[in-house]
Amino acid sequence: MANRIIVGFAVILAGLYLYATEQIPVVLLDDPLGPKAFPRLLGAALLAIAVMLLLESLRQKKAGDTTPTEGSAQSAGWRHYWVVGALTIWTSLYVALFEWAGYALSTSIYLLVLTAWFNRGRWLSNVLTAVLFSFVSYGVFTKLLAVSLPRGILPF
Amino acid sequence: METLAHIVNGFSICLQPINLWYTLVGCFLGTLVGVLPGIGPAAGIALLVPVTYGMNPASALIMLAGIYYGAKYGGSTTSILIRTPGETASVMTCIDGYAMAQNGRAGAALAVSAIGSFIAGSIGVVGLTLFALPLAEMAIEFGPAEYFMLMLFAMTSVASLTGKSLAKGMFSMVLGLMLATVGIDLQSAMPRYTMDIVEFQEGISFVVVVVGMFAVSEVFQGLEMLLRGTAPAVIRISGKLWLTREEWRRSIGPIWRGGIIGFIIGVLPGAGGTIASILSYTTERGLSKHPEQFGRGAIEGVAGPESANNADTAGALVPLLTLGLPGGAVTAVLLGAFIMYGIQPGPLLFKEHPDIVWGLIDSMYFGNAMLLILNLPLIGLFVRLLYIPRGILYPLIVAISAVGIYSINGNIVDLYLMILFGVVGYLFNKADIPIAPLVLGLVLGDLIEQSFRQAMNLSDGSLGIFVGSRITVVLLVLTVIAVLWPLIAPRIKALKTLPATGPED
Repeated sequence: MANRIIVGFAVILAGLYLYATEQIPVVLLDDPLGPKAFPRLLGAALLAIAVMLLLESLRQKKAGDTTPTEGSAQSAGWRHYWVVGALTIWTSLYVALFEWAGYALSTSIYLLVLTAWFNRGRWLSNVLTAVLFSFVSYGVFTKLLAVSLPRGILPF
Repeated sequence: METLAHIVNGFSICLQPINLWYTLVGCFLGTLVGVLPGIGPAAGIALLVPVTYGMNPASALIMLAGIYYGAKYGGSTTSILIRTPGETASVMTCIDGYAMAQNGRAGAALAVSAIGSFIAGSIGVVGLTLFALPLAEMAIEFGPAEYFMLMLFAMTSVASLTGKSLAKGMFSMVLGLMLATVGIDLQSAMPRYTMDIVEFQEGISFVVVVVGMFAVSEVFQGLEMLLRGTAPAVIRISGKLWLTREEWRRSIGPIWRGGIIGFIIGVLPGAGGTIASILSYTTERGLSKHPEQFGRGAIEGVAGPESANNADTAGALVPLLTLGLPGGAVTAVLLGAFIMYGIQPGPLLFKEHPDIVWGLIDSMYFGNAMLLILNLPLIGLFVRLLYIPRGILYPLIVAISAVGIYSINGNIVDLYLMILFGVVGYLFNKADIPIAPLVLGLVLGDLIEQSFRQAMNLSDGSLGIFVGSRITVVLLVLTVIAVLWPLIAPRIKALKTLPATGPED
């Protein structure tokens, strides 16, 4: 099942990549091979790999219909994809707020929600970790290490 | 004679107080990275690259290398105490190390892996000192066609040896190469695949990809495991942190053999620490008079593999420094770091920057000693890190990653890319696709394309140049063997063992 998805993805990606390759403008310079040759090779290689993957999955199916290892491991994984989906959305929101709200504030909120979710019930340590880490690391990075982080709406 | 002078000069560089300090910092951070779940040496090094921008290259590289070999020391700790390898090379240590911990000999297991790592790590550095220069001198003859074939060989070996499936390894490698083509083409100055996003013109930064795929994806996976309740429990250290005389006697042989096996395997691309430790484990079990003890807490099963995977780091630096060729994900990240400091590893490195390269190599003698000192008395301290609740640790890793990535260019697009690659890494893990080939492809992509084009220019567009010299032919044969290896290996194995039950795997 997963292998079929990879095959499909590889074929679509190869198609898009080869299409985009043909869109690269070419100026005739002292460069006989040009910027398209190597990418064309890669696109073709990806198509060949898709065929390899297909053959591999067919062979696996033939050899090991009785070994459910792959299937069972995956079905356990599928059920939990929503966790990763939620994490992705929440982390993207964090990034969206990163510059506007500033590093210290957005990181505090980000950490607070995640620790409340995954370290349930220990409010005090969660709040302390989230706030202390965010503000102390902000101080260390911007003042000591001269790494610039967004200040955002806070005055410091 | 000149070489000897360079080696001695290297000592004078790495013994400067500032560089000794950075060796210590690197080793300390490496141990930390090895112990902490969710962040491995590749991501650890990538995260620190931006912080080291202002430093002089020698100090920065000494520190980054310290993280690399320091992580191997730390990796054994988690294998022994929670049966979770801090990084893949410590997989074999889990078997007997965890069994020893259950038998109340966690202290001895930790001690033997630290001592073994020190001795074998030093064997590896001696090997690196002896073999680096001759190899570099040989490689100076290489033209673009030879280089292209060499890189192709390295990448296909990594793709074919790191995963369970050849096709998936190759898939990962080609994706990496494709990512490397994003940005302005170096020769024609034409933008490629930038989708009119200005930030893509300079290409996709390997730091973003590595941190996303190695740190963020680990966090996603760890948090998912936490919800499922499959995270392992920690065994507390009991008993003395030292070996009995009997244990010591049993460990010496495996440590030496592991050191030599590890160095040799380390030099080969693709194989890396994991294979070195597996090889050492099977060697020790084969040589042992009590093979039945293996799996139930045999100290040889810890001493050998741990030594092998430490000597491997020094071995892996041989092709990196002399040929500019990384054999795995971590060395690929190190190569990226070198390039960012404007230093191109390869045969000329030893001529152009002897101070940096020998300073780096010599610093590893001291680094290994520091790690031994750090790891024996401080092991209790590092173990405490394992007691930090995962629900707090994992979110912190994302925040640290965000700081690291943002500090490169101060650019939000990089942060979104980091999340994207985090998801990709997570899916790769679920689908059993190895990540290392992708990183290698991304880091080597530019170089391999340039040498391909230069070679084709030299030959007026004839592919014949890739079989035009003895070296390219040998490399081509090796590449074909590397590609076919997953198909050949089971047959050889089947021939060796009695025809038993037929195709099992």
